[in-house]
Amino acid sequence: MHVVEAVDLTKVYQNRYIALNALDLKVDKGMVYGLVGPNGAGKSTTFRIMLGLQRPTAGEARVFGETMTSHRADLRRRIGFLPTTPSLPREMTPIAYLQFVGKLLGMDRGEVMIRLTSLLQSVDLLSVGSQRIGELSTGMVTRLGIAAALMNDPELLIFDEPTSGLDPSGRRQTLELIRELSGSDRTIIIATHILSDVERLCTDIGIMAEGRIIYHGPIAEMRRLVRQRTVSVELEGNLAHFEQQLPELDTFGTVRAERIGSEFRISFLGAEPLPVYVQRVLDLVHRSGVELMHIDTGSHEIEEVVLRRLEEDRLNSFVRASAWSAAQKLTLTAGTARNGSAIEIIGEARAPDGDTVAEPDAVDDADAVAVEHGETGAVAKTDPEAE
Amino acid sequence: MEAYFALVRRDLEQLLSSWLLRGWVLLLAAPAAFLVVVAAREDELASETLAAYVAAVLAPLSWIVISFLAGTAVSGEAGTIADTILSKSVTRAEYIWAKITSRMVVFLAVYFAVVVPFAYLIDRYAVSNDTSLSGVVGGVVMVGVLFAFLTSFGIALSTVFRNSQLAVVVALLTVAVSGAVLQFLGLKWMSTTAVIGGLPETFRGETAIADQARVLVVFVALSAAAIASGVWLFERRDL
Repeated sequence: MHVVEAVDLTKVYQNRYIALNALDLKVDKGMVYGLVGPNGAGKSTTFRIMLGLQRPTAGEARVFGETMTSHRADLRRRIGFLPTTPSLPREMTPIAYLQFVGKLLGMDRGEVMIRLTSLLQSVDLLSVGSQRIGELSTGMVTRLGIAAALMNDPELLIFDEPTSGLDPSGRRQTLELIRELSGSDRTIIIATHILSDVERLCTDIGIMAEGRIIYHGPIAEMRRLVRQRTVSVELEGNLAHFEQQLPELDTFGTVRAERIGSEFRISFLGAEPLPVYVQRVLDLVHRSGVELMHIDTGSHEIEEVVLRRLEEDRLNSFVRASAWSAAQKLTLTAGTARNGSAIEIIGEARAPDGDTVAEPDAVDDADAVAVEHGETGAVAKTDPEAE
Repeated sequence: MEAYFALVRRDLEQLLSSWLLRGWVLLLAAPAAFLVVVAAREDELASETLAAYVAAVLAPLSWIVISFLAGTAVSGEAGTIADTILSKSVTRAEYIWAKITSRMVVFLAVYFAVVVPFAYLIDRYAVSNDTSLSGVVGGVVMVGVLFAFLTSFGIALSTVFRNSQLAVVVALLTVAVSGAVLQFLGLKWMSTTAVIGGLPETFRGETAIADQARVLVVFVALSAAAIASGVWLFERRDL
């Protein structure tokens, strides 16, 4: 049984905007699952459906093996949720708010008091426990949101962009907290734009684009997909001289370099171990007479893969759109053919295994019917002259 | 049920700390005290004084305050509902029933806390006392039922509209316009303005029990319909 499972999950807002497009997602017990994707990819909508806050247009969302609906308060009791920049009651104090959350969760008063004290301590909010939430900083509100999500020690935690709007120290504290939480059997799902957070925290990753998962798997597996080795160096001095000498690294045409200000990101597509490439870059730095300020290896690997996947998906979407359009035309034509009118195939009709279903200008009803059953993506049109 | 009681308690705390509610109580109590003094000194009919207070002070003020507080009950905390409450182990029915309970209790408590002492003092000290006990009880209950309907209707609208100002404006306009239109059409037992306009006779005991019962049944049914549709809509709405 999966802790979270989405099957063909589809959400269309007001028949105008497709937020989720037959999304399939599986998250198992103990995973720390990073859901990444651009704005509008459907991450928050997925979470809202998983919590029963929104109803899917089609498909199903299952949590702990059971279908989630707005009525399933019993399932929500086992989930802790941190929304993006949580909207908490501004007039309450953190202590009063956690007491309120404890009551909503059906905890008894003694248990609530013990739990809230330890939680406020672990999110470093004890000193502001009696201040109004409206007076707290964004980071503090996020940490309070985390404390509220943990109030009844849930089996599943869902964090929607937990480091959004936080300063570097708040971000570090939040990440540390999530890392501590991930030690047990607890399942955690984190939606984020920040890929380095995913790399640091997650065991598995799912890349979302346009309401679908376009890649999912363990982080380790994803790293194996990275064919290139990247060395980033931040330099000072005569950078133009270093840049001029960069082609020296590219003996076999397998090096790609990108300059971002004073940082050079050099990617090697060869199969040699990473230290070899690092040594080559260091030698070049030495020869160029520039000063090395910072060197970094592999921190952009995941970013590279995610961006590559998103780009591939964008290109594939054009192909899919064309195939869909062709299939529509062909189905229409096949329908006409069954009624006895002649048709002309202006391209080959192929089944998914590559076998030709119909040749141009050589079609009968049987071909047309086979085509109608979705075996192809060919282009066809009716011949108005050949009735 | 723990969640329901926690939500009722939180909403009661919010309402009681609201300056609008405090201002409402004050604005209802001050003219009432003044009218008791006037009725004790001047030769004014008790039934007319009581009805004038309801028509000129209590009804319009309460119409505005109840429309605002009921119309913002759900839509006014749109962000908090999903983030703080319904993402926890709370059903939507528990949430909406908690809102209905707390708002109904507070509005009716304020109404009866002001009207019952006022009616008693008028009845006791007015120079020209022409009221009947059954008539006053009937009139007070009828106005209470009108307020219950306004509360239910406002809360139902607050589940429909995401924009709380829109919910309030629609509540205000619908009650005002429907009252006038229904009165014009001769359906006085369905018209809020006609019911309030007929209060002097009711306080004197001149309105037939059957007519009073018809008003009560109609507005209780309308309140129940508003609550049912509000709950139904809220259970199906995306948050």
